[in-house]
Amino acid sequence: MSQQKIEIDIEDATGYHILRAVGDFDVYTVGTLRDSIGTMIEDGKTVVVVDLDEVPFMDSSGLGALMGGVRRLREAGGDLAIACTREPHLKLFDITGFGEGVSIAPTVEEAAKGLRDGAGSR
Amino acid sequence: MRMSLRWKIVGGYGLLLMLIAVLGWVTLTMFGSLRSVQRDVFDEAIPQLEAVNEIIRSYTAQSAAVRGFLISSNGELLQQYSSEVATARTWQAEAKRLLSSRRDRRLLQDLVATGRSFQRLVNEEVIARARKGKRTQAFRILGQDGAPLISEIEVLGNLLQTAQRDKVAAGESELQRNSSDALVTLLLVTIGALLIGVVLAVLLPGRLVANISRLVEATRAIGRGDFDQRVEIHSGDEVEELAQRLDEMQGGLKRLRTLAYQERELEIAASIQQNLLQRSLPDAPGAKVWPLQRQANLVGGDWYDVGFSGKTLTVVIGDASGKGVGAALMATVALTVLRAERSLGTGPRRVIEKANQALKEATAQDSFTTLVYLTIDVYSGEVRWINMGHPSPFLLQRGGDDGQAGRGYYLEGPRNRALGWFDDPGFSETVVQLRPGDRLVLFTDGFLEAKAPTSEVFGEHRLAQGLSRLGRVCSSELGEQLVQEVELFAAGKLDDDLTMLVTEFYGSEVTPDGREGVAEATEV
Repeated sequence: MSQQKIEIDIEDATGYHILRAVGDFDVYTVGTLRDSIGTMIEDGKTVVVVDLDEVPFMDSSGLGALMGGVRRLREAGGDLAIACTREPHLKLFDITGFGEGVSIAPTVEEAAKGLRDGAGSR
Repeated sequence: MRMSLRWKIVGGYGLLLMLIAVLGWVTLTMFGSLRSVQRDVFDEAIPQLEAVNEIIRSYTAQSAAVRGFLISSNGELLQQYSSEVATARTWQAEAKRLLSSRRDRRLLQDLVATGRSFQRLVNEEVIARARKGKRTQAFRILGQDGAPLISEIEVLGNLLQTAQRDKVAAGESELQRNSSDALVTLLLVTIGALLIGVVLAVLLPGRLVANISRLVEATRAIGRGDFDQRVEIHSGDEVEELAQRLDEMQGGLKRLRTLAYQERELEIAASIQQNLLQRSLPDAPGAKVWPLQRQANLVGGDWYDVGFSGKTLTVVIGDASGKGVGAALMATVALTVLRAERSLGTGPRRVIEKANQALKEATAQDSFTTLVYLTIDVYSGEVRWINMGHPSPFLLQRGGDDGQAGRGYYLEGPRNRALGWFDDPGFSETVVQLRPGDRLVLFTDGFLEAKAPTSEVFGEHRLAQGLSRLGRVCSSELGEQLVQEVELFAAGKLDDDLTMLVTEFYGSEVTPDGREGVAEATEV
């Protein structure tokens, strides 16, 4: 069984935080993604743009973890947006309906613009 | 302090060698002391005794020679006297060299002085008178003054001899004492060495044997499944390390046991899931479904359900996100609700609504389920389907009678959202009309996401190509052949389950109510 690694970096931007992942989002790595989002919530970093530029593969586990992230961050008063240009991921967002209600844009800056009004203002 | 068994054994041998060395040393010392006694007696006392003997004999001989000369006037006797004088001098010098005690040397000095007095008397008084012819006078002087001097020499000589004899006697007794001492010491040292050797031989391995016995006892208990054996050994060697490793091994065995339990639970879950999925599919006139499932793990999130009622064949394919037991439980929730509702005659939209509700309540924040719910009128070939976030079905049209393969394409239509996330995921329905010989292929994302060693995914395009290429393959073989292609692409390493349902529509000429079925259908 493959045990891929994923590297996650958190970067501060004005009004939000960028979560940059390098590696696949699948059943073996979603734990790391989930934990990173959990830590961000604990640190009060609830407005997040996830950059999928360096995530070549994402399966239903990865998508589920992203959706879980959206829910948890929104419950914490924040929001999650996604910066992605990769066609298979966009298709997956589209097929499953994940894209509806979540800001998805080609760049981090554009995705950040779509964050829910008032998110993280607390 | 840690000391390996090897060094303990080397130490034991070293100790034994040391004991042997001590034994040897003691023996040599004993022989040394015997040798010194021997030197005292043979190298000193006996030669001394001999020298003193010779001195006394020489003086006695001198006296006898002079006496003979006085009687016989034989000049040879005078020469003999002179020779004996020289002999006496030689032995006196030898005795002086040999004698070491002050008393002996003084006795020797007295003897030598008395000897000189005798020789002076002989030379000056006796021989001189004899030469003048006064033999009687000379004889008288030798008798009166010489005899006492010789007697004195004999007395002094005897005194010296007695001292030497004492020394020899003392030497003999010392020799005896020393040799018996040596024997006793040798005996004691040998017994001591033996005792120490036996104690070492019993004690050192004794502890080792006891420790190993405890380890053997512990491993027996472990063999019986008791993984809580504590063996405290502080021998500082490999046995202590073995005890520590045994402790660690028990930890590993406990984890393995837990894994085995989990594996068993998983097998139970897998068997339940298999029972849920692989029940016999209902027979329907005019259409048939061929399911195929290739699981990557014991349990997974893929599921399907086929039902037939009246003129409607219901074919549902679902995929719970994630993998393993979590996904399998979600699949079970969806499948249970779906079957329960369908058996009540609930319509597709309502069935999906109920399933969504159940999944929302039952599943974790990041779980979701996608499905395609498809119904076929087995007489008319009209297909209605609702797609909940699932990959689109693929339509493989019947080939021409000339052997040409039919068209194959994904059925696009309004798509709704996955189940388990949203209160209202949408329930838009799509309709398509099948013609006899057309096949609908439903599949899960395992086909699309199968990864080649280069990390390239199989994807929609390859799947469409594969299905189209296999357009002439009969429905019962289609899924299997496609799976083989995917496995080849992924070099045999599949991370996700592969599930495929091939539904073939044959068409039925007469419906149960006697109306004609649809012979030719058109795409909607």
